[in-house]
Amino acid sequence: MPNERSARIELPLVLMLVLKRGALLAAVWLVLAGAGGDALLVGLLVVPVATWISLRLLPASGGVRLYRMLLFLPGFLWRSLLGGVDVAWRVFHPALPIRPGWIKEPVNLSDGGKVALGAELSLMPGTLVAGSDGPMLLVHVLDTRQHTADAVHVEEARIATLLAAAPGEPRS
Amino acid sequence: MTEPLTAMLVGLGLVFFLAGTLGLIRLPDTFSRLHALTKADNLGLGFIVLGLALQADDWNVLGKLVLIWAFALIAAGTSAQLVARSALRRKSTPSERQAP
Repeated sequence: MPNERSARIELPLVLMLVLKRGALLAAVWLVLAGAGGDALLVGLLVVPVATWISLRLLPASGGVRLYRMLLFLPGFLWRSLLGGVDVAWRVFHPALPIRPGWIKEPVNLSDGGKVALGAELSLMPGTLVAGSDGPMLLVHVLDTRQHTADAVHVEEARIATLLAAAPGEPRS
Repeated sequence: MTEPLTAMLVGLGLVFFLAGTLGLIRLPDTFSRLHALTKADNLGLGFIVLGLALQADDWNVLGKLVLIWAFALIAAGTSAQLVARSALRRKSTPSERQAP
């Protein structure tokens, strides 16, 4: 009975995702309101309501692997530093050394994954995502002499490791 | 003791905010301007937050500073994509018409 078996596996996974969402929002509440007595009492009401709203707006699906996110963070900060420095020297340079153009790259991620990749690429050196056309990601490039197509796929692979497979979906 | 370091980091942050604004003025089209605004301003806020974090009295203030930067980062990455997408649909200026 494969159906019964998969149902038994899926239910705790969804519960885990809900608890994860709640824990994240509880942490945000603690930072915003402090860990004082009254703030904790209000938090007991606010956090479940916020979790419920959050789940209504963005139902628990695959979600993000938090520990992978922590591993990802230092490299991301470094590359966004490079992105800021790269665009800053270009605009301060009297000759304005840019060669804008477009590239279209096929990307094998879910819609949510594409949005995350787009947000990340928009902070990396020389790339800005302007949505997608089917599986093709539309990327505006500040300087077509940079190796931006390779960068798109490197970042795609990084984002893919952060995304956990949705319950019931095979891990790709 | 940390004051000079804070002043230095906040100053560095302001340089990047200046770069973002200069990019907005100097760059030729919506897409190129978004590069400058998103990347340079994110870095500017990052340096300012880092500088102010050195003056934080407790973990709560530190957490708030980090949250401010994290939310601004997410907002910048998301809104840059939205503005770029709607500009692409309109293709308002000649340089933007070379779009795919």
